[in-house]
Order: sequence, then C-alpha cells, then structure tokens
Amino acid sequence: MVSQTPTGELCSIPALLARNVQVHGAKAAYREKEFGIWQSWTWAQTAQEIRNMALGLMVLGINRGDHVAIIGRNRPALYWSMVAAQMCGAVPVPLYQDAVAEEMAYVLDHCGARFVIVGDQEQVDKVLEVQDRLPNIEHILYHDKRGMRKYDHSHLNWLHDVAEEGRAGHQRVEAELDARIAELTWDHTCVMLYTSGTTGKPKGVVLSNRNVIETARNSSEFDRLAAGDDILAYLPMAWVGDFIFSVGQAYWTGFCVNCPESAATMMTDLREIGPTYFFAPPRVFEGQLTSVMIRMEDAGRFKKKLFDHFMAVARRVGPDILDGKPVSGMDRLRYALGDLLVYGPLKNTLGFSRIRVGYTAGEAIGPEIFDFYRSLGINLKQLYGQTEATVFITQQPDGQVRSDTVGVPSPGVEVRIADNGEVLYRSPGTFVAYYKNPESTASTKDPEGWVATGDAGFFEEGTGHLRIIDRAKDVGKMADGSLFAPKYVENKLKFYPNILEAVVFGAGRDRCTAFINIDLTAVGNWAERNNIAYSSYQELAGHPKVLDTIQRHVEEVNASVAQDRMLSGCQIHRFLVLHKELDADDGEMTRTRKVRRNIVAEKFSDLIAGLYDGAKQVSTRTEVTYEDGRKGYISATLELRDAKVVPVAKSRKEAA
Amino acid sequence: MTAAAQTMPAEGWTTADGRKIGPVLMEMKNITLRFGGVKAITDISFDIREGEIRAIIGPNGAGKSSMLNVISGFYVPQEGEVWFRGARRPPMKPYEVARQGIARTFQNIALFEGMSVLNNIMTGRLTMMNTNIAQQALWWGRAQREEDEHREKVEKIIDFLEIQHIRKTPVGRLPYGLKKRVELARALAAEPKLLLLDEPMAGMNVEEKEDMCRFILDVNDEFGTTIALIEHDMGVVMDLSDRVVVMDYGKKIGDGSPDDIRSNQAVIDAYLGVSHD
Amino acid sequence: MPETLLYAIEVTLNGLMAGVLYALVALGFVLIFKASGIFNYAQGVLALFAALTLVGIQNGQVPFAHLINAIFGTSIHHFGWHVPAVLAILLTALVMVGLAILVERFVLKHLVNQEPIILFMATIGLAYFLEGMGDVMWGADIKKLDVGIPQGMSGAIDDFTYNAFGYGFFIDQLDIVATVVAVILVVSLTLFSQYSKQGRALRAVADDHQAALSVGISLRFIWVLTWSIAGFVALVAGIMWGSKSGVQFSLSLIALKALPVLMLGGFTSIPGAIVGGLIIGVGEKLFEFFAGPLIGGATENWFAYVLALIFLVFRPQGLFGEKIIERV
Repeated sequence: MVSQTPTGELCSIPALLARNVQVHGAKAAYREKEFGIWQSWTWAQTAQEIRNMALGLMVLGINRGDHVAIIGRNRPALYWSMVAAQMCGAVPVPLYQDAVAEEMAYVLDHCGARFVIVGDQEQVDKVLEVQDRLPNIEHILYHDKRGMRKYDHSHLNWLHDVAEEGRAGHQRVEAELDARIAELTWDHTCVMLYTSGTTGKPKGVVLSNRNVIETARNSSEFDRLAAGDDILAYLPMAWVGDFIFSVGQAYWTGFCVNCPESAATMMTDLREIGPTYFFAPPRVFEGQLTSVMIRMEDAGRFKKKLFDHFMAVARRVGPDILDGKPVSGMDRLRYALGDLLVYGPLKNTLGFSRIRVGYTAGEAIGPEIFDFYRSLGINLKQLYGQTEATVFITQQPDGQVRSDTVGVPSPGVEVRIADNGEVLYRSPGTFVAYYKNPESTASTKDPEGWVATGDAGFFEEGTGHLRIIDRAKDVGKMADGSLFAPKYVENKLKFYPNILEAVVFGAGRDRCTAFINIDLTAVGNWAERNNIAYSSYQELAGHPKVLDTIQRHVEEVNASVAQDRMLSGCQIHRFLVLHKELDADDGEMTRTRKVRRNIVAEKFSDLIAGLYDGAKQVSTRTEVTYEDGRKGYISATLELRDAKVVPVAKSRKEAA
Repeated sequence: MTAAAQTMPAEGWTTADGRKIGPVLMEMKNITLRFGGVKAITDISFDIREGEIRAIIGPNGAGKSSMLNVISGFYVPQEGEVWFRGARRPPMKPYEVARQGIARTFQNIALFEGMSVLNNIMTGRLTMMNTNIAQQALWWGRAQREEDEHREKVEKIIDFLEIQHIRKTPVGRLPYGLKKRVELARALAAEPKLLLLDEPMAGMNVEEKEDMCRFILDVNDEFGTTIALIEHDMGVVMDLSDRVVVMDYGKKIGDGSPDDIRSNQAVIDAYLGVSHD
Repeated sequence: MPETLLYAIEVTLNGLMAGVLYALVALGFVLIFKASGIFNYAQGVLALFAALTLVGIQNGQVPFAHLINAIFGTSIHHFGWHVPAVLAILLTALVMVGLAILVERFVLKHLVNQEPIILFMATIGLAYFLEGMGDVMWGADIKKLDVGIPQGMSGAIDDFTYNAFGYGFFIDQLDIVATVVAVILVVSLTLFSQYSKQGRALRAVADDHQAALSVGISLRFIWVLTWSIAGFVALVAGIMWGSKSGVQFSLSLIALKALPVLMLGGFTSIPGAIVGGLIIGVGEKLFEFFAGPLIGGATENWFAYVLALIFLVFRPQGLFGEKIIERV
C-alpha cells in the first residue's frame, strides 16, 4: 500500500486551491464558452470567485457538515460552489441534472440538503416542485438568471448576488471562514456522490479528502498529468469520474477544466479545445466513429479510396507505432504520409489532435472501435473502476493496451478474486461509508477494508491483466447447468453499429433469447441511402429489411459465441427488435445508461413469453414517459425471429 | 362584442402574472383590403398595446395573413388608417416598415438559405449598422468594433434561443423546427418594438410547439417585446396571449381576453362551422 | 529547357492574361445574376458604353453632337479641352452610377416579380438601346483609347527570361496591368461583399427577396448598387479591351466570350468566373498552339464554346455553382 501520510499540508481541495494560486496563479484554471467566445479564469481569479461564494454561503448561515446539493450542467460556477461549500466545512452533493423531480426528491431528502445550488430555471422548477415535501431545504441559489425574474425570491437567490453579499460582508465572516478552512483534514468528507444503482434506491457514497486526493495523486502520476494539460468537462457532475478528473486531478495538478457551451455543442467545443486528457464512455467513441463512417459513405470516390487505403495502413502498423514496437522504415513512412493526408485532419475534426491520454470505461468497448482510435495514434486506454473506489481499480499502462482487458491494478490498489469469481479490491480510495446506511456499508466493505465489486472476472495468466466477464450476480446458470453470461453476449451484439442496446435472457432456461434496440442514427442513415421511408423509431425497428440485417448480426454473434466452449450455450435462439428505445425516464435504464435487466424483463414479460413459446408475432402495449414527465402508451405488433445457432454438440466435437 | 376591448384603461394595466401592459402601440382603423374585386379584409379595427401578446386567430382564409401583411407593409390597404406610436403611418414599403422597428417572421419561413445561422441573424441588425461604405473602408477599426458590438447582441440571442450548436451551420441544412427558431432569432436581432409572428407553430410537433411557446413567452417577458401573432391552433393561442382578435371571412367577429373569446357565440359558431346567413 | 516547352509556357502565360479579361466581363454577369437573378445580356454593351463615354470625356467630345448639329445646324464637336485620365475615369464611373439609377427607375422597378425570361428580354432591349445611345452620344467611329497604361512587349521580362532560359518571353505590359487591376478589383469586391454592411445586404437580397425586405433592406437600393458595381466592372473591362484593340462595336461582342466562361464557372460564383475565365483563356491559347496547326487554325473562335458544352454535360451547375440543396 502507498504511504498513509498526508501529502504535506495539502489535505483538502481548498488547500490545493491555495497552493495552485501560489504555483500556477496566472495560468488558466477554467474556461467556458459563452456567447460564442471562450472566457477564461486563472487560478488566482478562480480562488477569488470561490472565496466570495464561500463568504456568501457563510452570510446565509451555512454550518459545518451541512449538505449542499449541486444540480446543473458542467459550468465553472457550479464547480466553484462545490469548493466553496468545502471551505465552509459543508459537503457538496452533486446530483444528476437530467433526473426527474421524483428522483431528485429522494436524494435531496436522504442527504437532508439545506442548500441547493442549481444551474438554471429548469432545475429551480424541479426543486420547487418537490420542495413542500423537503422541509430541510432553506435556500435555493441559481446561477443563470434567465426567466427567474417573476419567481418569489424569499428563499431564492442569484448565486452572483450571494457572492456579492459575501464580498460586502467579508469582515463579519472572514475569520470564521478561515478557521473552517484551516480545520479541514484528511478525514473530512470531500464529497458525497449518489450511485445510480442498478437495483433499489440510490446510495450516498461518502468520499473523504484522503480518498479523493490520494487517488488523484496516484492516478496523475501514473499518466504524468501536469498543469499544462486540458480536459473537457462534459460528463455529469454527479458522476464520480467527473469529480475525480475535473476536481481531484485538476486541483492536484493545476490543469485547466474546459466547460462546453451547451450539451448540443459538445463536439464543436471538443474540436476547439483539443483536450490533452480525455475521458469518454464507449458510446461517445462509438458515436464519433459512426459519424465519421457516415461522412465517408457520402464522400467522393477519391476521398473514400484515400481514406480506405490509409486506414488499412493505420490498422496494420498504427497500434505498434503507438506502443513503441519495431516497425519497418517503409511502413513508418507510409504512416507518416497517412498522418499528413488522413489521420491528422481526421483527428483534428474529432478534436483529438492533442490527446496524450484518453480513457474509456463503464462498458466494454468494441475491439474495432478501440483499434480504430489507437491506429490513428490516439493513446486510448481502458480503466476499470467504481464510485466506491473513487474510480480507479485497474488501468492500462502505456504500451500494454488491449481492448479485451481492463489493465493492471492502479497504483496503491490491491485486487484479488474471490472464490465465486468476484473481483475484490482495497485501496486508499476505498469509500468511507454509505451515508445513513450501515447495513449496506457492512455488506459491501468487510472489516479489513476489502470491497466487493459485484463483477466477475479473472487475472490473465502471463500478463497480469484483469478481464471482466460480467456482473457477478448476472453470471447465472442455464437449465442444463451451463454458464449464462448475458453481458458477454450483449457486448458482442452491441459492437455492431446498428445495434444500440441488447438484453439477453436465459437464466434457468434451456436456451437464450434477446431483445434488440437498433441505433437510430446508423440504421436511419442506412434507410435513407436505401430509400426506405420511415416516420418513427417504431416503424424503422419493425421493418423486415432491418430485421434481416439484425438477424445476420445475431447469427454472426452466435458463431463467435460458439467458439468459446464455456459459453457456447449462450447462443441466441430467438430475438426481437423492441418497438421503443430503452429509456432512463421509463426506468428501463440507469442514468448512466446501464440496462436494468429485471425491470425490463418484468415490463416486457409478454414479449419474453412469446420468445419462448415460439410465437411468430406478439401484440403489446407499453407505457412511456415523455420528457416533461407526462405518461402515455404506445402499441405495437412485433415480429419474433429465429436465429441460426451452431449446434453445441458439434462444436464440442470439433474442439475435441 | 368589442366592449371588452374598449373598456380597457388607456394607460394600460398589469396582468395576473405581473407583466405590464402599456398604452396603445399600434392601431388599425377601419382597414379594408381588396385583391381586384375580392375583399380579403373588410373594415377591421383593433389595437395592439405595448408589452402585450396579441393574437389574431380565425379559420383558414379568414384574412389573418393579409392583416399581418398590412401591418408589415407587404400589402397596402385600399381603405383605413394604420397608426403606429401615436402617428398615422403613410403608405410604406416593407423595408421602411422594418426600419420603423417592426420585425416579422413568415408562415413559410423566409431565411437566407445559403448563409450560416449566424449570418442570417446578423442581417437582422443591418438597419442598425451606422457606418457607410466609405467609413468602412477608411476606418476599418471602427467598423470592426461596431461589428463586434452587433455580434455580441446576436450571441445573446443565440444563447437565449438555445441555438449555439448550429451557429455556423448553413440554414439550408437545418430541419424545419430549427429554421423557425432561427427566423425568430433574426427578427429579435432587430430589437423590434413590435414583433409579428405568422403561424410560429405551423407544422411543428408537440415538443417543438412547447419549445416555441416558451420562447415566445420568454421573449415577451425578458425583452418586454410587444408581440402580435397569427395562429390557427386555438389551444396554443389561449395559453399564450393577453388579448385575441378573431377574424372570419375577412371580418372581425370577436376581440377580447381569451376568456371572453371562449364564451363568444360568434366565435364558437365560426369554429364549429355554422353557416353564415 | 526545350524550346517547345518554353514556348508553351509563354503561350500559357498569355492565355492567363487573356483569361483575366474574360473573367472581368464574366464577373459583371455574375454580380447581377446573383443579386437579382437577371441574366444581363447588356453586360457587354455596358463595357462598350463605358469605354465610349470614357474616350468622349477624355477628348472633350460634346455628347449628342451629331444630333445637336443636325437639329440646330451647328457644327460643334469638341469643347476643346482634354480631361486627365484619372478624372475622366472617375466621371465615367459617375455616369455608370447614373445609368444604374436610370435602369432601376425605368426598367427594373416596373418588372418586379416578373419571370426571369421577361427580365432577360428587357436586358436585350436595354443592350440595343444602349448601343444606339452610345452611337448617338459619341459617334459611331472607331476610337483609340489611351489612359496611359503602358503597352507593348515588356522589355524587363524579355531580358530576364532571355538571360535565364535563353529565350525571351513576349508578354504585353497591358496584360500585366490588366491582371494586377483585375486582382485588386476581385479582392476588393470580395472584401466588400463579405465584410461590409452593404455587401451583407447584397448577399441577403441574392438569397431571398422577401426575407431581405423583412429585415429592412431596400431592394431598389441594392439593385442600383449592383448595377453600379456591374457598370464599374464593365468600365474596367472596357478600358482594358479598348486600350488593346480600340473602342468599337465589336467590344460588345466580348460578352459572348463571357458565356462559356460562365458555363464553366457557374453563374453564381465569383471565384467561378475567375477560374472559368483563366481556364478558357489558357485552354484556347494552348489548343491553338498544339492542335491549331493540325486542323487548320482559327480554333480560338470556337474552342471555348465546345469546352463549355462538354462541361455542361458533366457538371451543369458549373465548377463552383451551388448545388441546389432542397429538403423534402
């Protein structure tokens, strides 16, 4: 284990802020695009802004240990308000901004927030909607004034006004504030993050200063992150990854956090900033690759030829060059030419020209997607982590990157595999507790500090890399006792650009079946090129030609699954394409877009029955929730299809 | 019938949600418009007050668009007077009306398809640019500064209407709903005293309609812009407007608050298609 | 270097220079077509008229002298003074602006919202009217135009190339000046259209009349503006061609050379007009040089049209013409 000693006096985020003012005072700390221009703040300016906010909170009467909920998209002011809360001895609790009011109400109630700091009117409305049930809430502060003029401001304040009040009244509260900053230690809570939880209510994960800062230090050193780096802060602020990247590592190293103008401009902003350190879940990389491919389909013949030729070169030698393996001079020359003509411009359009370290995690990434980026010379790596570990459990060192592992244990982290195959870890980042939930804390973290991840996996012999199979509880048995690993099959399916989501069933049954969600962008584009008219997702999903394509994909996956003797029973015998996209608003997915298997199985039980009783068609009616929270129903008649499977017995014989 | 409108206090009033409605901004007096022998508008009078959202509704072919075109100068009525800001307006060309501070959008969208969203909205500020050709050539710096000031105003509008992501996109490539929003942005860029919207929600889906409604209300609320709009979707109008003029076959058949209009027998008849005798 | 190659380079350079002049005329077409959708048949005559007026003013000719003499039995021809070239050019430019105002007032204003073919016919009428007008005002004789542009072989280039390659290039100084002027003209026009308020208004009108009206742009002002600019471009073209081969009726026929240029470059693109002009200029000179002797020469008369025809088949919108994007 890495040393237990505090890192000098730097045992809180406010302390790191003070250090950054000393060391990097005139360097950009934050940038945000507003009104079409990138505005920026140096560390010195940032410290002033944060201090004013903290003074303002003091004037409003914030107490030690208060919880301050923070809701909104990534904006410097909201990041600052988290640090301001910490200065006052309070605990910031970032919430998912796209959660419906109901979900927010649970978290706000559970943490007992006295202060809620939000981005704009939309969030104010949501909080006001549930406020009468939440007597704890005393002050709501908002950052964006727009549309707020008519509101009753008795408990509502413009964040800017609060900071102004703080500045004006600094003499009254300054001493007290400085005292509170000084008393912050390793063991004070740094942040509380609610896990979206695939089952049950969200749990508040308490992370101490030690958790956050030691993890930030270790991981920054691992990838040699430094003050000159740039990141784009676009992932939900409530997610532990964003907190570690945009707060932990940013304050540890002093690098610059760039906030996009809006969610819709993310890609443009990415291109303009050109981050050097970038994290994205696989679906972002997938989406970008899909849009590149679509653009190439529409490009002229010469351009397409050029692209195909040099991409073939890149696939052959790109990853080796990136990993520093020997490559012939001729190939290096070819690659250099390709870089000039294709990879360079392409990376520039994607916003990846400057990337030094890129990470993906959360889901398995398709090997061809992963290789695509690496062959372009983008150092994309995988990591494995969770909120309870303050992100990092394992990660891939430079030069040892593969799409099918999640790397070696991160610095300071111990990992072992339990008898049932579950992955366990112990690290400086291991969370303190679940807030107000000692039972769950006890069942997750044993007295020696080992935490069960809930994932099944194994260490690869020879390399020492960890491979994850599936959620431990999702790895089940089929009726004949053979292994059932749905995630494994689903991931293979999802590697096809046409398939957005897949849910495989089969636990305790004699064969497997699947639900498929098509990717509206990819399939829609294909439909447009082939003159197939459609008016909705539902119509496209039911189109016979689409079903044919999906069937081909399923059968290819079956062939590939059959190769693995252990898992050959997981081939998909029958499937259907769902008439709606699985949606977090309908509870079918978590906010981080993980499928809630049980809820899906329950909600569409009629369809599952159809898949197992051999029906050719099933009519169904499904409740949906619109963006504004209203509910409605959609009806559909779905076609159920058989897919070819490779006979298990035969494949065994071949293998034998 | 028009009693409700006439009993309104001249200096204006405050609405239930706390917005100030001011004195009369524009008044149409006995307007009659003919195309050849066909009367599109017959003897219609009504006023538009500062700060209000005024709707003109009616079934298809009732003459609503003609009325809007009279206000914006695209048509010149044969009879009647148009009063704007306390003075009678002589017959004018549309561009002169625009320069008086009356901006508009079109039912079928009239944007500069070949230009980017940003440039489209910038054209909305053309009438406010003061330097002439010679000045632009000789004092490049000053012209540039002026350009920057206009750009800043335009960026505020882009932010307000949440179209940052399409700033540089050529308008021709945008879907219908966004085009409507860009057109609204261009009209707003002129900082109009009166904003005319010709069926702002035509052809939109439910979600786009809700967005547009919110933008119209916000524009009125944030900038205090007076808005006159045409719509045939009754529900939308009733939620949105302070006062409503109802037209049918070129005549005015109702004028008053949405509640008045809802209970007006002539209006009910017109919408239920009772024959005119 | 082999003789033929050097010779070919010289021909190419000469072709480029000729192309610049084609481009100048084509530019006038494009400007008016973009702003008002009118194919201005009178563009060539505008150049002739401008050149005639310039010569007339320079020489102190009395306008309508023949007419006046015929009616009043007088015999006046000249005021007896010489106007310096720069002043004469400025005055001519003013005349072209006046002409633009008259065209708007008496022709365009009455044809708003008419079919393009009607407007096209109107410009044909305008062309013949202006041609007659030019004759009546300034007389029908061939005139020499001299605004002080150096002419004849450029000695410097001849010497330089002779020393360098052992073969002196023959390049007309006038062509060099024409090229420089054309470049300046195009750059300033581009700056004007991209960055000035009027340029923005001009592009707006070119895109959508109704929308332009609604943002407060006066169509009539824009039309006067475009016709003035087109008149000015015509003046420049008139000066160059007139200096080269005298001011005479055939000057108006250079408009016909602009046609293939437009087909090549697209009717709506300023860069298209330039590139198209250069391609045609170089193409016809090189074709004449290589293929002329084989098929009996005089290919310059038809080569441009054949090239344009071939082009039309493969890319009807021209090299730079806008693809019409329409969403359904």
